[in-house]
Amino acid sequence: MTFLINRRLIPTALLAFAFILTGCVSEKPSTLEEQAQNIERLLICPVCPGETIDQSQNELAKQMRAIVQEKVAQGESKDQILQFFVDRYGQGVLAEPSRRGFTLLVWLAPPVAVAIAVVLLVLFIRHALRTRPGYADTSMNEDEDTELKPFLSQVDREAGFSPLRGSESSGRRSESEKRSDG
Amino acid sequence: MAVHLALAVAIYSAAGSGLGAWKRHQPLMESARYAAYLIVPVLALATASLVYSFLQRDFQVRYVSQHSNLAMEPWLTWVAFYAGNEGSLLYIALALSLLSAIAIRVGTAQSPRVTPPASAVLMLVLSFFLAVIAFLASPFVRLPVAPPDGQGINPLLTHPGMFIHPPVMMAGLVGVTVPFAFAMGALLTGRTKEWIDAGRMWGLIVWAILGSGLLLGAWWAYTILGWGGYWGWDPIENVGFMPFLALTAFVHTVMVQKRRGIFPRWNIVLVFIAFSLSLLGMFFNRGGPVPSVHSFGQSTLGWVFLGFMGIGTSVSFALFFTLQHRLESPQGLESPLSREAAFLLNNLLLLGVAFVTLWGVVFPLISQIFQGREVTVGAPFYNQINGPLFLMLILLMGVGPYVPWRKASWGNMKRSLSIPTLFSVAVTLVLLSIGITRPLALLAFGISAFVVAGIFQEWLRGAISRHRQGENYLTGFAKLIASNRPRYGGYTVHLAIVLVALAVAGSSFYGIQRDVVLMPGEKATIQDYSIQYISTAVTPMTDRTEYQAMVRISRGDNSLGTFYPWRAFYPDFRMSATRAAIRSTPIEDLYIIPSESTEGGGAVFRVLINPLVWWMWIAGPVLILGTLVSLWPQARPKIIPLPSIPTAEPAETSPDPEQLQRSSQP
Repeated sequence: MTFLINRRLIPTALLAFAFILTGCVSEKPSTLEEQAQNIERLLICPVCPGETIDQSQNELAKQMRAIVQEKVAQGESKDQILQFFVDRYGQGVLAEPSRRGFTLLVWLAPPVAVAIAVVLLVLFIRHALRTRPGYADTSMNEDEDTELKPFLSQVDREAGFSPLRGSESSGRRSESEKRSDG
Repeated sequence: MAVHLALAVAIYSAAGSGLGAWKRHQPLMESARYAAYLIVPVLALATASLVYSFLQRDFQVRYVSQHSNLAMEPWLTWVAFYAGNEGSLLYIALALSLLSAIAIRVGTAQSPRVTPPASAVLMLVLSFFLAVIAFLASPFVRLPVAPPDGQGINPLLTHPGMFIHPPVMMAGLVGVTVPFAFAMGALLTGRTKEWIDAGRMWGLIVWAILGSGLLLGAWWAYTILGWGGYWGWDPIENVGFMPFLALTAFVHTVMVQKRRGIFPRWNIVLVFIAFSLSLLGMFFNRGGPVPSVHSFGQSTLGWVFLGFMGIGTSVSFALFFTLQHRLESPQGLESPLSREAAFLLNNLLLLGVAFVTLWGVVFPLISQIFQGREVTVGAPFYNQINGPLFLMLILLMGVGPYVPWRKASWGNMKRSLSIPTLFSVAVTLVLLSIGITRPLALLAFGISAFVVAGIFQEWLRGAISRHRQGENYLTGFAKLIASNRPRYGGYTVHLAIVLVALAVAGSSFYGIQRDVVLMPGEKATIQDYSIQYISTAVTPMTDRTEYQAMVRISRGDNSLGTFYPWRAFYPDFRMSATRAAIRSTPIEDLYIIPSESTEGGGAVFRVLINPLVWWMWIAGPVLILGTLVSLWPQARPKIIPLPSIPTAEPAETSPDPEQLQRSSQP
């Protein structure tokens, strides 16, 4: 297996893999029934809280399903069908809020919040890097079982891994201390 | 009566612990502690008397008449007990008192300074519940005249899943109070090191309770709600899920504090967030403002819980901002590429999911208030926004364990990740060749394979090393796990999460659903299954009419047996309950729901094929096992003289690694 852990091989393999993927991947064309189902999953049954018409066994949901199926068979588009129900039951009938107007907020807030959080995280990490490194509590068990370490590194050597973690931390430490001084 | 007594004792205990801790008054603290223990039997007595009323069908007790009737089987008493607000609050109080008693008992020995203020917090929260029961929602209210029969139990609750899902979930939600109390104790006393063990232990316990509760809920939904799914992003599910996410973040970063002493404030914030979210959960459960399939046991009690949530959240965060300087940690990170930083990224993703979920839950309210328009935020929203976050989380789950503490080097990481990467590529190629072509499904399966390979690589590496020490592989593996329980227990839990991910990916990308109308004797073919409808037996009962259909299923020429999808109609509730017939295999479930009868003896069935769902139910025990391994107290470190290590015997001890791996698979 050592030959597999060649440095060039992995990127090459990944590239080839990506190439194959783009070639093979395709969405299968959906049947009328599947199209109808996809629409039914987007409509909330107005009289049964929190259930889509696809899930609900309610009479109204059944009728709505029949309408959806009929309209799909007549070749109406998804948007037309959804609009048909919005006109009758209001925005609340949509399981997923529309991406226009006020309800666009629903869709925008999460990515914005995550972006802000990422910025905060980066700022925090940069701040934390400037402070002194934490103590290593030696009373706690080390990550690797100490008695096992020599054996582990041997297995790693044989499997083609480099010698492990523990040995490197001492050398790098002075580097980060230097940085904290500067 | 018993509840009033318990309330008085709880208030005394809260005051006693608080004052005692403040004044360092030993006898007072001790007396408060015993008072806390005393509440358990008192509440148990109250519970027993309510159960007795149920068994006696004492309909003069209003709660009993509302939630049971003469037709109800006695074994359903257990469910009827928490079918409404009053009873479930009593159950919650009992669960909290029990958890508190254990926590105080264990904590007194483990963290003597943090525990007294923590128990004061516990008792305060308990007092709130007891006060609500005593003054607003007593299950013991008696009617002037006993009605001849009760109203009966909600038919959706008459399922074995309901025996454990609600109590486990309620215990989990209220259980978040325990780690919260210890965090408060740490904040008030300024002892950040002392609370870590208690906080981690209770964080994990409650995490596992919530996790099992969620899985049990999924199971209940899958087998009884009759739509073939297990998770609908319903508001009530969401509010149970959010504290779970926050606790997940906490049980990870608490390890950073345990090992490196950093992030002491962040850990407290995480627990506070989890507690606030659990209060939100209880508020929504008690008659919250949003429609939900869980809309039983609702009342105006919601506003009391909203108030409690507001007070609890603001008081705890206000205290945090006043006292946080006490918890200053002088330490920082060494490198952005380290386990510590990986945990922060994990927190970001988990809280991201929690935020998205919270946003989806509250947005309809925002829209209602500011626009006066009704908006529904349903499953498609959560799937689209949370889906990618979950994928990133699972990917991180594969990478994170290979990032060493303090500082990692790219070279080392590349090496340890190469086998998992190759494995996941190989799996993806195999999947492609058997016709799995949806990009997202491939991505999900590929990432899952990556994580699994990473976990097994670690296990194998350790077990082989142990073997070198002259142990056989099995004991070697067992000792490996015993050597670092938090770590290997964590891997086991990761494995459970991957199982859930597989089930979700399989069923959401490759699930099939058909509605078929069949006359007796007729057959329908779905994929390679053939379903033949034989007949329906109709049984009228006192409170319901049962319809049991009989279908024969075969695949190719093989008969797979006869199945009995069942449904019942409850005229009193104008409600149907269904039990799907499920043929479950690790590859896929065939799921048949009877939906209605047509004229002329026909029947409508909804047939689903749900690939891989089976694995989700396996995940539960695996998750609990992993948590137990993580929690099991670490044996005291023994000092063992290092054995002499054969340093250079290339001829003898270096068989090629392939052979080595083969030999390790007996």
